[in-house]
Parts: sequence; structure tokens; C-alpha cells
Amino acid sequence: MLEFRTQGYNGYSVKYSPFFDSRIAVAASANFGLVGNGRVYILGLTPNGIVVEKWFDTQDSLFDTTWSESHENQLLAASGDGSVKLFDITLSQFPIQSWQEHAREVFSVHWNLVGKDTFLSSSWDGTIKIWNPNANASLTTLPTHSCTYSAEFSPHSPSILSSVSSDSHLRVFDLRTPASASNHLTMNIPIHTPPKPRMGAAAPVGVPPSEALTHDWNKYRDTIIATAGVDRLIRTFDIRAPAAGPIAVLSGHEYAVRRITWSPHLSDILLSASYDMTCRVWTDGSAMGVGSVRQENMVQDDPMVYGGGKEMGSMGRHTEFVTGVDWCLFGAEGWCASTGWDERVLVWDCRAIMQ
Amino acid sequence: MAHSSTQRLEMLSRQLNPQSTNDAKARILEKRPDDVVICVALRTALTKARKGAFKDTKLEGLLVPLLKGVRERTHFDTELVEEIVVGNVLHKDSTFITRASAIAAGFPATTAISTVSRWCSSGLLAVEAVAHKIAARSIDIGIAVGAESMSTNRDGGAPEFPDSFMENPTIKDVTELMPWTSENVARDFNVLRQKQDEYAAASFQKAEKTQKTGLFQDEILPITTKWKDPKNGEMKDVVADRDDGIRYGTTKEALGKIRPAFPQWPPATTTGGNASQITDGAAAVLLMRRSVAEQLKVPVLGKFVASTVIGLEPRIMGIGPSIAIPKLLKKVKLEKEDIDVFEINEAFASMLVYCVEKLGLDPATVNPRGGAIAFGHPLACTGARQIVTALAELKSSGKKIGVTSMCVGTGMGMASLIVSEQ
Repeated sequence: MLEFRTQGYNGYSVKYSPFFDSRIAVAASANFGLVGNGRVYILGLTPNGIVVEKWFDTQDSLFDTTWSESHENQLLAASGDGSVKLFDITLSQFPIQSWQEHAREVFSVHWNLVGKDTFLSSSWDGTIKIWNPNANASLTTLPTHSCTYSAEFSPHSPSILSSVSSDSHLRVFDLRTPASASNHLTMNIPIHTPPKPRMGAAAPVGVPPSEALTHDWNKYRDTIIATAGVDRLIRTFDIRAPAAGPIAVLSGHEYAVRRITWSPHLSDILLSASYDMTCRVWTDGSAMGVGSVRQENMVQDDPMVYGGGKEMGSMGRHTEFVTGVDWCLFGAEGWCASTGWDERVLVWDCRAIMQ
Repeated sequence: MAHSSTQRLEMLSRQLNPQSTNDAKARILEKRPDDVVICVALRTALTKARKGAFKDTKLEGLLVPLLKGVRERTHFDTELVEEIVVGNVLHKDSTFITRASAIAAGFPATTAISTVSRWCSSGLLAVEAVAHKIAARSIDIGIAVGAESMSTNRDGGAPEFPDSFMENPTIKDVTELMPWTSENVARDFNVLRQKQDEYAAASFQKAEKTQKTGLFQDEILPITTKWKDPKNGEMKDVVADRDDGIRYGTTKEALGKIRPAFPQWPPATTTGGNASQITDGAAAVLLMRRSVAEQLKVPVLGKFVASTVIGLEPRIMGIGPSIAIPKLLKKVKLEKEDIDVFEINEAFASMLVYCVEKLGLDPATVNPRGGAIAFGHPLACTGARQIVTALAELKSSGKKIGVTSMCVGTGMGMASLIVSEQ
């Protein structure tokens, strides 16, 4: 396990470069992101450990970062002052562009993985904005009317994006649909829909709504989205059956789940980061064989675990809230990086913690 | 800047302790896909037994037009109604009548029926039955009805019990008449006649005001029925569209002059003016799961949150609401101050006075449209009628949370909690 200290700054987001296997970006904030400056670190993984290649300071806290998919030296940062900033790591100090449109804190930024010419941001102001890096103003604003902690483009289509927000809903937008009344909204799924009752377990009732903080599209199955948040549960949904409720419900985290990300290598594996100071690896049970014995008996070990999904391992080396986690896209499957409020970035191999 | 950091801190603490800001009331007001919601709520007029518009209308004559009324207010396929549960106390063949009436009202043979009874709480018992079936997913959509024709079905009281039963004083109390229990409440808890008349007069005055402002029209489905003119014996069509028991200009002084109805039972405070009237009527509530309502695009009036029941000594059965309501509120973790409207059935003014004062309720929140003293208590109708009235009152006053409750003959109290979403 490699370690780097973001001295004086509490981590909020970590992202591997899509171009280089040895480069990581970290968005961090002074004073736990409550008040004060932000900083983007560009870290290099070297035989001598993790070294800082560069950093950029900002006036307000930073809550997320994402690498450009079209330019290997550029990355975005989501700022507490409502701005979205584009940095170029070959230049010093200042962002090459800063877009100030959101009325409140920006909580997520994400680059279009297919189109590569657009990116999005989501904010506490209840909107998602679509941007082109060459335009001065946003291309589109999609209202969610609710503090939107996380928004993402589909990795399978340039015009489909999704969000989760504090109103406990997973929204899917399709930019090909007419804007008209629905503002491209094509799906609005209550995350707190109870799972389908299974034989041998009582039907869960009265699942309360709860703030959703993070979500991610499965990289292989183009209709599967995982969500997680304040109710400590990770759920997976199939957007082909939006009314069917979650297909997997994964419980284990002891506090809110702050970040989840599907494996770029394995279709059933996802990684989570939580306020309970752990990162955990999960299978949603969709891979062949997992959970099949229990399925035949139609009796679940744990009534909250559906479809045979389960926790595969836990990484407990952080000593404060874990807020960011990401997979390395290159090399052997399993390498990942995490960051948190303990002012540390950890780079580790999750195969080491899997049982 | 300081402002935004405080808000960020609040956001983080909310993420860590969702319970801290998510109090019981907020949770009850939440809209969840598996909520049991009320989509139609309406009633017939309540008319005096043996005098009013329904005096020659049998149980089916109440059920068929009311069920038709419910059907006409829904725009989805009638076949989707899986069960109709009717609360009825007095008709000995109520289950047959219900099956036939559902078909006569245009429901297909695939819509099942059942009947329930727990005396004065039968209407609420029917609502509870449908709500529980929906919550347990045995059905998705159901109709609960409370219906009573007191004109055409005699209240025979308790059956004859064997001596071994009657030797038990509590069982003996079960066989006693309701006014006797009212006098027991007045005596045991020292509820003065004057106070009873004061509450009774208030009931008439509130009902009079509601009727004159036309607000009861939100609740009532007008029904045309046959009525036999006592003067010449002719049958004619009449429209039952208003409650006929509400005596305008009633004052506590006027009620104070009425002779005690039961001088044999001291303190003999119960009169024809401060007890519920004997009345015909019916009320219906259509319930479904919220996810189904959203799918069918059916507008939602409110949700049915919880209900409970509790027994007590039969000799003071009237005070049932004073223990059923606290039990209910404890279950849902609410305080009485959280409740905007209480519908407490006015079986007798004695129990009404006791319950309101024992619970320490603000009288302005109790029966704001008047109650059974003013417009009658058709036994099984009342529980469903209270839901209809509470929803209409919550709508017109722009408020949210309602509790309905009633005392039950033989010593019980039932209560329910609903939330208006209008």
C-alpha cells in the first residue's frame, strides 16, 4: 500500500488518469470543506512512492474532480463557490477556464466518456449543467429541484446521463428527447422503492426516502446503475425495469456511503467509500455461480441482501471519513486509490482484502 | 461565507445522523411508494331513522348508489378493484347483500367482497382491513365501506347468555344498554349535565355552520331513493343530499331543558339532546398502494398511516378514545399537538367531555364540523364517515394530520391516523 499526505487538506475525490496508469488527481479542501481553500493535487506513482507533480489552489473548497477524456493534461474541479474550473497541468497556477453559473456548491463533475466533447456538473442548486470546454456558457441546464450530489454520463451513450440527489431519486436524462416539458428527463426512480418480496423473507415495507450521495453506471451492463447514500445501503437498478425496485441491496456500511464505483475489469464488482472510514469491495451477485445455491432454496441468509450480492472485503486503513475512491484502468485488475478526511491518499490492491 | 459553512456543516450532520432532523412527524408526512393512500372518500347524507329520506331504504339501497358513486369517480378499469370490504352491524345477511350490491353497482364478478363488524368501529375496521391487505400485498386496490340502515334493521341488543356467563359481572356489563354506560361515565368521572349540554350545543352549532356554508357538499353523494309518505302511504322519489338531524339555533340552555332520557340510572344526565341520534347512512373510502396510484395516474387525497384498538371495562365503554388515541400516538411517535384535526365519535356527550378533557385536547381541533350528536351515528357508517369528514376538513382548512376515533359497545376504543395530501 502506497501513501501520500495531503497535509492541511481533507480529501474529497480521487481519480486515475484515463491516459496514464501512474497519474492520479485528488480534489481536497481545507477545514473539511466547511470553509477555506481548495487544492487539486496531481500525483505521480513512482518506484519511490507517490510524488506531487503539481497542485492548483482555489479560493473555495473543492468537492470533486474529473479528468478530460479528450486532453491528457486537462482536468476539471467542482468548487464550493459554484464554479467549475478547467486546469491544464502544463500551465501553472490558474485554471484555463472557469465557469460560474451554479448558484450553490458544485458537488460533481464528469466528462462524457463516449462523446468526449462535453462534460457535466451537478450542484446543490438543484441543477445539472452540460458544458462544452470551448464554450463560455453552459449548453443545457437540467433541473432536478433537489441538491444533486452526483451526476454522470452513461459510459455507453453520449446523450444519456443520470443523477442522484437528496430527494432519494435516481434520474435518467436522454438529451435526444425533445426538451419540452420534461427537460429531457426520461426516468425518475424512487431509490427507496422496496425490493421485490422473495419467498422466505417478509416483504420489506416502509423503506423511508433518504439522501442519495453517489451512483455509478456499470461499465459492462449498459442498463445497470448502482446508487448509495445516507441510508448506508448500496442498491443496483436495472433501468429497463424502473418500477421493479432495486435488484440488489447491499448492506454493511455503518455510516453513509459517500462514493461508489464499478470495476472497469469485472462486471459484478464495485467499490465503495464511506463515512464509516472503510472502503469495501462488493459483488452484486450477477456473476455466474455467486449466490446460486441460496437462490435454489429461495431462502436468503440476510433478508436485506437480494440476488446473492455480498461484501467481498473491507479496507480499514483510513482513520477518518473516506470520501473518494477510484479504480486504476490499466494493468492488473484490482488496483485502486482512495482519499479521505485523514489527509491521506492510499493506493492499494483490493485483491489483497478480498476473501 | 459563514452562512454557507454553517449550511455545509448542517448538510454533513444530516448525512451522518439522518434521524436527527428526520423526526417522526416528517417521516409520517413523507410519500413512499408502498404507502396506503386514499383516492376516493365520500358518504351519503345522514338522515334520521324512521323519519328521514332513507327510512324506507334498505342496506342495499345505501350500498348500490354509494358504490356506483365511487366507481364513477375513478377513471381506471373497475376490474382493478380487487375487494370491497363492508362494515355493517345490524343486517343479518350483510355478506349476501354486499356481494349482490357490488355486482348491482357495476363491479365485475372478479371483485371479491367481505364484511366485518365490531359495532361502532365497523366502518374503520373495514378501512383498516383494506389498508392491511394492501400493505401486505394481498391486494393492490380495495374499497372500504361502512353502511347502516337503522330504520330497516332492528338493534336487538345482546343475545341471551347462559347463567354461567351472567354470573361474571364483566360479561353481565356487556349485555347492558349503551345509555347505561354513558351514565356510568358521567357518574364515575363526575361529568356534569351542564358540561355535556355545552359540548352537545357546540356540536350542533359547528354542524349548522358547516351545513350553511355548504362544506358538507364536499363529503356527500346525493342519492335519489324511495320514501313512503306517512300521511297518505304513497311512495315517492326523494333526494337525500343533506344531513337532516342538525337543529339550527341549538343552545346549551335549550338542551338544558330536555328531560333525562334514563331517570332510572343516576345521575341521569343523558338526554335526547346530548346523545348521538339514530340515523341511516353509509360512507366509502377507496384505497390503493401509492405506487399503483402513480402508475394509474389516480389523484391522491391522503394516506392511511396507522390504526389500533384497545379494550376496556364494558361498563364505561365510552371512554375508549381516551385510551385508544394515546396508544395510537405512541405507536406513531407523535404528540397530540402534532394532530390538526380529531374526529371523535360523539356517542354521548358524557364520553366526549371526558375524552377531550382527559386527553387535554384543544376543543377547536375536535370535531370541527360537528359530530354524531348533531347529525347522527349510523353504527357501522361512522368509522368510514369520520375518514371522509376528516379529509374534507383537512382539505378546507389546509391542514395535514387527522386522527379518527370512536368508543365501541362492549368496551373498546379504536383510532386511526390519516394524512391529507390535498
